[in-house]
Amino acid sequence: MPSSISHSDAHKAELRGVREGALPAGLRQTAANRPGQAQPVPTRDIPTRPWVGIGLSVLIAVTLLTGAWEWNARANIELRAGDIDDSPQAWAEQRRLADAAPVVIIGDSRILFDTDLARFQQLTGIRPIQTAIVGTNARALLESYANDPNFHGLLIVGLADLSYFRPAGVGVGGPYLKNFEKNGKPSQLSGLWLDRFLQRYLAFMDAEYRLSRMVPRIDHGWRKGVDSPYEDVWKISETFDNRQYFMWGRIETDAYLRGHARHAWNLFKGPPLPPFIARNVVARSAEAVRRIRARGGEVIFIRPPSAPELRAVEDKRLPRAKGWDLLVSGTHSQGIHADDLPQAQRLVIPEWSHLSRKCAAVFTDAYVRRLVQLTARLKLRTDAPPPLSRADCVPQNIASL
Amino acid sequence: MIFNSLTFLVFFAIVMALHYAPFFSWHQKKINLMIASYLFYAAWNPPFVILLWVSTVVDWWAAQWMVRAKRDGTRKAWMLISVVVNLGMLGYFKYGGFLVQNFVTVAASLGIVYHPPGWDIILPVGISFYTFATLSYTLDVYLRRSKPAGSFLNYALFVTFFPHLVAGPIMRPTELVPQFDAPRQAKANQIAFGLALLTLGMFQKVVLADGFLAPVVEAVYDAHGQLPGMLDSWVATLAFAGQIFCDFAGYSTSAIGVALCLGFAMPDNFRFPYGAVGFSDFWRRWHITLSSWLRDYLYIPLGGNRHGQTRTYAALMGTMLLGGLWHGANWTFVVWGGLHGLYLSVERWLKSRFKGFVPGRGSILALAVLTFVLVNITWVFFRAKTFAGAGIVLKGMAGMQAKPDPLIAYGPMIIAMTIVTTIFGTHVAMRNTTLEAVLERTPSAAIAGIWTMLLFAVIVEQGQGSAFIYFAF
Repeated sequence: MPSSISHSDAHKAELRGVREGALPAGLRQTAANRPGQAQPVPTRDIPTRPWVGIGLSVLIAVTLLTGAWEWNARANIELRAGDIDDSPQAWAEQRRLADAAPVVIIGDSRILFDTDLARFQQLTGIRPIQTAIVGTNARALLESYANDPNFHGLLIVGLADLSYFRPAGVGVGGPYLKNFEKNGKPSQLSGLWLDRFLQRYLAFMDAEYRLSRMVPRIDHGWRKGVDSPYEDVWKISETFDNRQYFMWGRIETDAYLRGHARHAWNLFKGPPLPPFIARNVVARSAEAVRRIRARGGEVIFIRPPSAPELRAVEDKRLPRAKGWDLLVSGTHSQGIHADDLPQAQRLVIPEWSHLSRKCAAVFTDAYVRRLVQLTARLKLRTDAPPPLSRADCVPQNIASL
Repeated sequence: MIFNSLTFLVFFAIVMALHYAPFFSWHQKKINLMIASYLFYAAWNPPFVILLWVSTVVDWWAAQWMVRAKRDGTRKAWMLISVVVNLGMLGYFKYGGFLVQNFVTVAASLGIVYHPPGWDIILPVGISFYTFATLSYTLDVYLRRSKPAGSFLNYALFVTFFPHLVAGPIMRPTELVPQFDAPRQAKANQIAFGLALLTLGMFQKVVLADGFLAPVVEAVYDAHGQLPGMLDSWVATLAFAGQIFCDFAGYSTSAIGVALCLGFAMPDNFRFPYGAVGFSDFWRRWHITLSSWLRDYLYIPLGGNRHGQTRTYAALMGTMLLGGLWHGANWTFVVWGGLHGLYLSVERWLKSRFKGFVPGRGSILALAVLTFVLVNITWVFFRAKTFAGAGIVLKGMAGMQAKPDPLIAYGPMIIAMTIVTTIFGTHVAMRNTTLEAVLERTPSAAIAGIWTMLLFAVIVEQGQGSAFIYFAF
């Protein structure tokens, strides 16, 4: 007799499918026990416990614990609500805006931290779209824009030489690029908006304060030859709307955290880059630049500053003449190197790689004033504020940094 | 959308509010559930809802015409139409690129150079799951195991019902459609228990699988150019055993909890599988709804154990190889299935050879450990993306790397092994009971304490909204 899946056949006992009280062991059957037949409505047994009371007590306890966690985040870690995490979805949101934007920034973390978008807008009237990504080879981003037929704007390529000239690999931004379409789907967008909304009110939602980020950091290098989680870069940035990154305030004020961040960079040590890699990188960059120009777009390279301690290693591994200069000449592009900006000298670079928040505004001011001289796509506003200088961002007790 | 997302929390709250709103009739509530399920699916990629419609309509009419047919040939034709349409869609979206790639390889081996156009097809989420769910409907009707559903709405809701839609449990129509006949109203106690199950599932996925186990697995399996030694290879593989269980069982537990909150019963999909003693036992505990589906619609039609030893072994291997391929369009999955087929065959032979063997408690534990170890070897092929990658890890597990690189820091390693040992120990200890039976004997205060810690851990872990591994299958 075939089992019925219509209303007419009465299997009232099974129709509910939910049973108060746990079934004795062995009586809760699964399809594994019933080969070659139509499977009946499964039975879900509810253990005889006061679930509503338990649930309410859990709700109260979790609310209290979460409140304590939030207090700890604010009081002891000095996280704050409104510091919204960056994410592949947030990047995809900006990337979608980039096609219609007159100015777009790509690059690694340096141009991301070191550009004050509001200052840029004050000077030019244009707020650039920020699509740089931490730990990412800017060349991969340049090539993705070269492959985008809809992009016709000015592309500012910010780069740290050793990242841009790395032999292979995109870095952190690889999944951002790969999943760009997916990260614009409705479920991703709604998740982004909800997450952003909550982060405006809750400090503990910082990705660096997640349980699985904090707990493994108990390992302070227990195993030789492996980078322990503690030695990873921890929180160094704050993120605001439209992917405006700035140096996290505590890195500027807390010597221990600043030292930890410097330690994590390990001075970017490594062997010198062979010349053929630089030639290959320049050739690929030139092709990408050519394709963007062919569509009416423009590309300008920018090299933000790094601290002398780091710069010495960078120059040793890839001297300016064999990297930056070759890139600018090989791509027939304009370039702005921090070395060539008088106002951008001896700025505060707390952990040696990224500018302090105030100095990011000074550097932005300096490079934008040079940019407007290099391209007709940008003009200095007539009501632009006066130039900033080192004095606007370097504290009196600079020695302590 | 996925259960471990903020979007789902909002979605679920709205669905619950509509489901328990007093002013809707049961008919309207079913329509609400169906619309919600389409929204749930469309949140990934709206156009793929069309595939759901095609599958729903074709199978509905195929079953209708099957029961009206006077001749067996006509019945068979309608069954075949359903099979071809469903497997055709699955084949095109999931296996098209794989077939083209293999064709190119075979052609190249014959000296024919063929450059096919790029196969840039996105895999619709959950297509393997709902294809099997809807196929079971027409196959059950064809095999005269069940009658067709009495209402198109009930049938369409069965196909789309969001808790099981994208990653199972793979439900049969006979399990779910009857539940749509009468109004479903869960009591407060059931809703609270459903929420407890949802919390447990989220803890498994967000905290254990994604938070603590995945990074350990990735340190070895995604270590390009570095060679893991014995310790790292075993730790990463054991961590993957924990990750895949927590990921998939976490989804199933969440789905069961969500359905329970709405008043519906869904079947178990996992029964403490790492406590299995032997591989037939493992497959009665791991992804139960898939293994029983393969048994009922593949193994038994292939002859099962009714036509002698050779045919039985052939049916077993064929079922497991296809089961492997179901998981992904890659030969590594086929090898994974093949290894399980081999294990099952050897076990079958051993059982026939040593019929009188009754293991004692010590032997059961030893056999459970052996089963777990051998299952872990199959996981290498499941996780590695290529045979070369699998070879590197297997070589490491065998201690044959000449100059291994240390890849996993001790801190994460200790945490991962603590989790995996706990999972294994729990599965062995609970292999003859159920979670519900244990909870019934547990003091309420202890349950409240554990639930609190699980939920708090989920909240402070937050999760990155990463997809469940089985979504890709």
